[in-house]
Amino acid sequence: MIELNFTDFVVRAQEDDTDDDVDVEGEETGVTDEGGEEEEAVEKPTGSPDADTIILFTKPAVAPGTNLELPAGDLVEFLVGFRNKGPEDFVLETLDASFRYPMDFNFYIQNFSTLAYERPVKPGQEATLSYSFIPAEAFAGRPFGLSINLRYRDLNGRQFYEGVYNETVNIVEIDEGLDGETFFLYVLLGACVVLLLVVGQQFLYSVGKKRVGGGGGGTTHKRHVETGTANHNDVDYEWLPKETLQSLSE
Amino acid sequence: MMLVFCFQTLKAEESDASGRLLVSKQILNKYIVQDMDLIVKYTLYNIGNNAATKIVISDTSFNSDTFEHAGGQLKATIDRIPPGANVSHTVVLRPVRIGPYNFTAAKITYETGDESSKVQEAVSSEPGEGYIVAFRDYDKKFSPHLLDWGAFAMMTLPSLAIPFLLWWSSKSKYETLSSKHKKNQKD
Repeated sequence: MIELNFTDFVVRAQEDDTDDDVDVEGEETGVTDEGGEEEEAVEKPTGSPDADTIILFTKPAVAPGTNLELPAGDLVEFLVGFRNKGPEDFVLETLDASFRYPMDFNFYIQNFSTLAYERPVKPGQEATLSYSFIPAEAFAGRPFGLSINLRYRDLNGRQFYEGVYNETVNIVEIDEGLDGETFFLYVLLGACVVLLLVVGQQFLYSVGKKRVGGGGGGTTHKRHVETGTANHNDVDYEWLPKETLQSLSE
Repeated sequence: MMLVFCFQTLKAEESDASGRLLVSKQILNKYIVQDMDLIVKYTLYNIGNNAATKIVISDTSFNSDTFEHAGGQLKATIDRIPPGANVSHTVVLRPVRIGPYNFTAAKITYETGDESSKVQEAVSSEPGEGYIVAFRDYDKKFSPHLLDWGAFAMMTLPSLAIPFLLWWSSKSKYETLSSKHKKNQKD
């Protein structure tokens, strides 16, 4: 009875401690922190001392000594190398990657699929796993904690969950010189300008014509008095072909 | 065999001076089609502190009853990969049977370059399962249909040519008439 009470007290004390931490961090992150605590209780990454893992980003290529910058909306590829240094076989089970909140790696932002490999690695052997993912385009311009974890087991059934990569990466926006959308926007704008010019020209032309026609129209109209076919002199022969005119004048 | 050297410096996490290779095996085709080339690319990255030597890539994962060899070597030897460099090797195969196929890893042996000069065994990454599509199905989707368009052109030809010929004959008839008329007038 006494023991039970004691453990109860310890648990409560721990809870109090964590609650205090949350309060110190601030109200906004309080909710996320509580969510993260449950995740932490489920898994704690540990690797086998007989295993040696290494990661290499092949796309984009990483310059030495710089922070990893991943282009948003573009494919990212990396290789994970595994070397078995121990006397027993290992079986590589899964590899998963996720973006975490950089201030608190227990808070997940984007989870990528867990790939199952099930590949045995004999003692002294090496194996390479490849994995690729695309960071969401909405994440451009912000840092995220990238966490890549490898799960493997030995022949005794002991499972290991090793963090291969756990660092803050920057998601950068790729600025394409000219994408299709803006190109066609400019084409549309150009078409509008041309259309306006044509309409303007037509308008000016018609206005000019009216003014010229209106100025002399009064007098010319008065002169036109219908005389039927009596007057042969003002017959307009212009519309007739030349051959016909010639034959007429003969 | 195509070798591409491209220098890439990496932070080496291992303290001992020995070469270490990461090998990726990729299938570059988007569609794996029967009787069409299948391109397999092996890229070897040396991420160790020393050169890897006497590298032998051997890939026995392609069944001879499913794949025909078209180019490149399935068992290749590379003398040396300096630290921080990478080498790629390409093989071209031609699938002869349709159906799903599980593309598995290639085996690599190399010497790590340190004093022990032990032979290190490694396996590449696996491209995974793919499906070999029949050429007919692929052709249905992606063929340029040149024969069909040619037949279409032949079929549309009469409906264009007949009115043109009618117009042409009447035009030439009236042209000769008018020129005769002119000549008569001049005389």
